[in-house]
Amino acid sequence: MAFPAPFQNYALGDAYDEMFAAPAAPREQFQALYDRLQELPLAELRRRKHTADQAFLNQGITFTLSGRDEGMERIIPHDLLPRIITGAEWAVIETGLTQRIQALNEFLRDIYTDGHILNDKVVPRDIIFSCKHFRREMRGVQVPKDIYVTVVGTDLIRTPAGEFVVLEDNLRVPSGVSYMLTSRQVMKRAFPELFQTCDVRPIDHYGQALLATLREQAPDNRSDPTVVLLSPGVYNSAYFEHSYLARQMGVQLVEGRDLVVHDNIVHMRTTGGLRRVDVIYRRIDDDFIDPLSFRPDSILGVPGLFNAYRTGNVTLANAIGSGVADDKALYAYVPQIIRYYTGRDPILNQVETFLCSKPKQLQHVMENIGSLVVKAVGESGGYGMLIGPHSSKAEREDFLARIQAEPRNYIAQPTISISTAPCFIGGSGVEPRHVDLRPYILHGEKTTIVPGGLTRVALRKGSLVVNSSQGGGSKDTWVLN
Amino acid sequence: MFFSIRHVTRFQYSAPVSESNMEVRMRPRSDGNQRCIRFDLQVNPRSKPNSYKDHNANTVHYFDVPAQHAKLTLVASSVTEVDEPEVLPAALPMSAWDEVDEVNEGAEHWEMQNPSLFAKPTPLLLALAKELNVDRREDPLTILRQLNGDLFKAIEYSQKATRVDSPIDDAIRSRKGVCQDYSHVMIALVRNLGIPCRYVSGYLYPKTKLEERSALGATHAWLEAYLHNHGWIGFDPTNNELCGVRHIRTAVGTDYADVPPTRGVFKGRASSQLSVAVRIHPTDSPTDEEDDFISVAAATNDIQEVEIPTWDALQQQQQQQ
Repeated sequence: MAFPAPFQNYALGDAYDEMFAAPAAPREQFQALYDRLQELPLAELRRRKHTADQAFLNQGITFTLSGRDEGMERIIPHDLLPRIITGAEWAVIETGLTQRIQALNEFLRDIYTDGHILNDKVVPRDIIFSCKHFRREMRGVQVPKDIYVTVVGTDLIRTPAGEFVVLEDNLRVPSGVSYMLTSRQVMKRAFPELFQTCDVRPIDHYGQALLATLREQAPDNRSDPTVVLLSPGVYNSAYFEHSYLARQMGVQLVEGRDLVVHDNIVHMRTTGGLRRVDVIYRRIDDDFIDPLSFRPDSILGVPGLFNAYRTGNVTLANAIGSGVADDKALYAYVPQIIRYYTGRDPILNQVETFLCSKPKQLQHVMENIGSLVVKAVGESGGYGMLIGPHSSKAEREDFLARIQAEPRNYIAQPTISISTAPCFIGGSGVEPRHVDLRPYILHGEKTTIVPGGLTRVALRKGSLVVNSSQGGGSKDTWVLN
Repeated sequence: MFFSIRHVTRFQYSAPVSESNMEVRMRPRSDGNQRCIRFDLQVNPRSKPNSYKDHNANTVHYFDVPAQHAKLTLVASSVTEVDEPEVLPAALPMSAWDEVDEVNEGAEHWEMQNPSLFAKPTPLLLALAKELNVDRREDPLTILRQLNGDLFKAIEYSQKATRVDSPIDDAIRSRKGVCQDYSHVMIALVRNLGIPCRYVSGYLYPKTKLEERSALGATHAWLEAYLHNHGWIGFDPTNNELCGVRHIRTAVGTDYADVPPTRGVFKGRASSQLSVAVRIHPTDSPTDEEDDFISVAAATNDIQEVEIPTWDALQQQQQQQ
């Protein structure tokens, strides 16, 4: 059976397709969208696409490409069509991520205090200590309510078998949630009638859920805690998101120079004088957060903040040193970590990972580099990555040399054909493109995940790299009731 | 034996500054062969220091001075009891190397057995290791003793040759340096043998007035190597001796970067000039008699003005996940 217009160029490949089980046979959750797209004339789709893009531009939802031309701002490309997930699929994701985040939080508590998992040799010490995000200064520091990770963005991909697996955890300062929220606003205007028929679960309460999670982590004796969002400043590529979230929560957006620590208490400078701050949702990396304790050349941070934190007078979300749990080399041990703390098997599987620091695994990587994805452990955003099957001989040789020079710094994974979803391409029709999914997890006394997340799209045909810094786009994610 | 120590540090700023935040590592440790009985830190302009123990169990005092000031003075006074350290055997069996490897395997002292900011293997260091025959030809203790003496001979003590943040290559190339350089070079060489090794900052009570080598008044630096059954053993390559009752330890770390006596930031465009004076007074009882302090030395050290990077460059340093 052939695809009808506007799907005339839709071709199913090896990858799992989110929309079609077979040509012209949409999965149940996509039926309404399938029908609607056939009714709408192309000109109407183009008009809606244009309106949606304008909405993003007008809101200033832009980002900068780091590592290249620093001044280059763009709107994140947005695809008009939603990615739809069934309630049953979501239930598995939700329980799986909850299990994973709770285990990783317990892992962080353990390695910074008793170190049972290290003494029991489940995770080797050198993996922890050689990680650049491990903060020795955090050893023995009492973290409010033992919550190390408050905001997490975990990247999931769907394998050809249709199974969601974890590709990577982001436990430091995950970004992108503002795209998820604004994209939903835009989509409600682009497809109001589909929202009615599809019964999409809402996500608009994210800002309030975040605020509630932050407030409950305030130091014990503070009944009406003051929460602020600490941003590196207007030149940071995620500044839009910082201001957006502060507005959503109704809290002050501050920079390091707006805060001052005196006698272990953090204050914010306001027009009415100093005001005590209790919880800081910080979007600054550990390295830059306090020049007294960490990088002395940082002027983005707040001198004395870490000492105030150590005394328990202020909460930082996420805790300092949480990045050790999203190290790409540690990732290989996460299934064992989950079993160690929960006594159960992981609900969500993850991608097989080879550690170049282990001689046998290194050998495997060296011999099979053409079929593997190689990643630098300290990088994020799709930088420092080699996709074996799409690489040139020179690129592979370059990576082999780099791996041999610094094996601890690299891991490799099999190249997975991640799932495809329908995208409105070039204003002329609907075609499949590879996607991943980043749900945002709020972890406090309980774990909250707003249903959905950011679906990132590799808009270039055939490309597997979805990172916005590598030319990827985003689309709205609908979880149905 | 007891030591009364009075350590005065003064920062003189070229223009008034405000919001000074400072961390101080000056309280002598209470472990091994020493015990700090009394410690007091006075800050002027008046400020009340708080304290905590860092991850190496050093006591850190910290304070902030919000108001404008052109001068900051710290006076640290302490009384510490020091015993003679354990008498070490003349040599160990060769099998002690197996114990060294076992300790490494457990990674118990991971930080102290791996390269750190100032103590890392460079081509020059590896060449020096070859030159001084730093290898496992004899038992670990014998090798450490020999290395302590060999470095003392190989490097000439000179206050002018290096700076507080000089990499070890400067000292190795010029064969000149101060206690900090001797220590960093030896730490890197010892770690290269697989033996955990850490930096110690503290005070050295001189045998006689002004004839001994230690930098910045009587503050001094040396190192400790870890051997199974013996624990951390102190070596002072600057003076070619094993550490004894005259070595008073204030802080330990991977290298100097972990344990500077003061570390601070302030607001304002000013350069600062640092003056340090240390007086050590030995007694047989833990009382503090101010009258007959020996004034060991005083030194000043210019700190250069740091050029402040631009806002946008720094804000972009933040990587997105």
